[in-house]
Amino acid sequence: MAAVDDRLEKYAELTIRVGANVEDGQTVFINSSVEHAPLARALTRAAYAAGAKYVDVLYRDQHVRKAMIELGPDEALTYTPDWLKTRMELLPKATIWTTGDPEPELLADLDGERVGRAQMKALSEIARQQMIDRSVNWSGVAYPNEGWAQQVFGEPDVERLWDAVAFCTRLDEPDPIAAWREHMARLEGRAQRLTELRFDALHYRGPGTDFTVGLNPNARWMSALFRRADGREYVPNMPTEEIFTTPDCRRAEGTITSSLPLALHGDIVEDMTLTVKDGKIVDVQAKRGAEVVRGQLESDERAAYFGELALVDGTSRVGQTGITFFDTLYDENATCHIAYGFGIPEVFEDGDGGEGMNMSTVHTDFMVGRPELEIDGLTKDGEAVPILRNETWQLPED
Amino acid sequence: MADRIDSYADLIVRVGANVQPGQTVFVNALPEHVELVRALTRSAYRAGAAYVDVRFTDPHVRRAMIEHGPEEALTHTPDWMLERVAASEDAAVIAIAGEAEPELLADLDQSLVGRATMRAAMQKMMELQNANATNWSIAAFPNEGWAQQVFGEPDVERLWEAIGATVRLDEPDPIAAWEEHSSRLRARSAALDALQLDALHFQGPGTDLTIGLLPESRWRGGGTETRNGVAFIPNLPTEEVFTTPDWRRTEGTVRSTRPLALGGTIVRDLELTFAGGEAVDVKASSGDDAVRGQMEIDEYAKRLGEVALVDGESRVGKTGVTFLNTLFDENATCHIAFGASIMHATPDLVALDPDEARARGANVSNVHTDFMVGGPEVSVDGITQDGTRIPILREDVWQL
Repeated sequence: MAAVDDRLEKYAELTIRVGANVEDGQTVFINSSVEHAPLARALTRAAYAAGAKYVDVLYRDQHVRKAMIELGPDEALTYTPDWLKTRMELLPKATIWTTGDPEPELLADLDGERVGRAQMKALSEIARQQMIDRSVNWSGVAYPNEGWAQQVFGEPDVERLWDAVAFCTRLDEPDPIAAWREHMARLEGRAQRLTELRFDALHYRGPGTDFTVGLNPNARWMSALFRRADGREYVPNMPTEEIFTTPDCRRAEGTITSSLPLALHGDIVEDMTLTVKDGKIVDVQAKRGAEVVRGQLESDERAAYFGELALVDGTSRVGQTGITFFDTLYDENATCHIAYGFGIPEVFEDGDGGEGMNMSTVHTDFMVGRPELEIDGLTKDGEAVPILRNETWQLPED
Repeated sequence: MADRIDSYADLIVRVGANVQPGQTVFVNALPEHVELVRALTRSAYRAGAAYVDVRFTDPHVRRAMIEHGPEEALTHTPDWMLERVAASEDAAVIAIAGEAEPELLADLDQSLVGRATMRAAMQKMMELQNANATNWSIAAFPNEGWAQQVFGEPDVERLWEAIGATVRLDEPDPIAAWEEHSSRLRARSAALDALQLDALHFQGPGTDLTIGLLPESRWRGGGTETRNGVAFIPNLPTEEVFTTPDWRRTEGTVRSTRPLALGGTIVRDLELTFAGGEAVDVKASSGDDAVRGQMEIDEYAKRLGEVALVDGESRVGKTGVTFLNTLFDENATCHIAFGASIMHATPDLVALDPDEARARGANVSNVHTDFMVGGPEVSVDGITQDGTRIPILREDVWQL
């Protein structure tokens, strides 16, 4: 056996104990890219050490997907094998998924429309229901690798990427688990204050952006300290720096421009501007990748409506690295972002967001934050309360 | 490089599994085989596959389960796994061999390693194979860890060349070369069938073994057909002709002539003693626990299920390489297997339920482990019903 990589084992332990917060006797699913095998293996060890009953690792491979899109028949694109549905349906379980694309541009030269269509929607449906029921404790975590490092730094400097990942996930702290508890408490405080203010809408103002989006009166602001329906806490994203809510998907107007590139279905979307009317994205412009976004927005009836608003300020460890990671798990925690598609059921006390909750099967985050972006909360009587200026949090904190 | 792996993938898809247009193709491999898996996926879609369903199994995950998991995890088979295996009915199945870390499990408790198998899934797969309900093939992918084990250095290129020769990738037209090879093995099987042998006798250093055959035993080699008439070659390479022995009629001792890689450990100098068909004594200079662990999986695991003959013309044998992989080594020389029979070598018994098949002498077990018993010093005779001895192999030369 190769020498055990101490950092990797600690990272896996943090993911299992704080991220998914695996329970004694639970079945643990690990859904990993085949290139992330060293992390999947470390996660397996950590999960069994935490008392897992069984660890079920499923590797995926983008080249296999590429071959399907390029050479497979039309029906293959949307086909979902029954066994994958059976696997997805299993409850109770904890799930860990991994990110860190080893070949971020692998699908870039394919027909964007086919790439967008190649989704196992049946699996998304099951996952969405489990999110609504809050039945799974899950977490996403990244695995530094050469291809990803190449994209981020222009050279395959995996060690440098590892350093950044370790900093963002607080692995550099003497006691990462304690550091995470403290960090989540701070984000929770911020979310609670914002919930108490009961804004009717948010207004975004900045370069290429003048956008108003209605809030859902039943929706809380939350940190990514999630609770399963039975109350067990878990942190679905490692790292996380955001507080977020689910807007009223029927109320959004204006234009909003992305501030960072977005990696989507093997392509990179750059400088995207969305035009929004009556809640719906009616136009997509981008320097690159607009086609992939347009394809995705056609996935279902609500794909072109919004599902998440997230606020991140300059204290974010991800933001502080100054690195564009080309990975949503990271970049969405660098700065403020918005998602079109499925809303987040956790923000509703009973998981039911009513009419205004977006029930799409897609969910794509894109970054909008930058120093020039100003965000105000609008009260019912139209008063504007500054929330962010120059990436600095404007509301009082404890 | 790309050319070689693509022609190899085409050979596996078109000759090995013989993927039919509109079929689903299941591919099972290790993460370390990913390069071949990708080439297979492309080749299968080009051959008209409806969908290519890839699953990677990871020995490190299995190791963690054995080392750190609870007792129940060892034998757990997820429902989805059974469903996936069942879905291979009338589909094509390709499995990739070639351990990347052959001794990964060697330091673990071997009785646990032996038990850590998804028995129900293996049983279902065997059922489908015995019913000729899938067109399937196993081929190997060279990798550093395996090359290290074989050559003492991670010379993947040398392993590629050896494997390339055994699967006839060095021929100008490998697919045509396989057709010719396959018909030669089928002719050999037909000649053996004509003799209607009652038993085989192996004689050599440490070996004096008589294996009773069944009246229903048929010799097979060079591939077979599904119930839907799709011709396929289950192993690439293949050099053997084989049949199903009577699990009740093996007597004597046998000494293995090659090391055997088994469940992450290497079994060396295996010696088995049989009485009344059952292996009553297991000895080895290493890995005997792994063999015993396997033989304890079920009641019939310690009885024979296959006997196979290979002569010195074998391309595997000619490489002179011990591949430490059954797929190759069993094609270097004669071998026998304890555990399940290959039911299509007894076509009259295929339709029977396990108890009935057993009552007629075919073995039904969740284990099937081949080990090598042939070589220049081992002679093989056939014994007919009236006791006549017919030489079949002398100094690795085919006598019929």
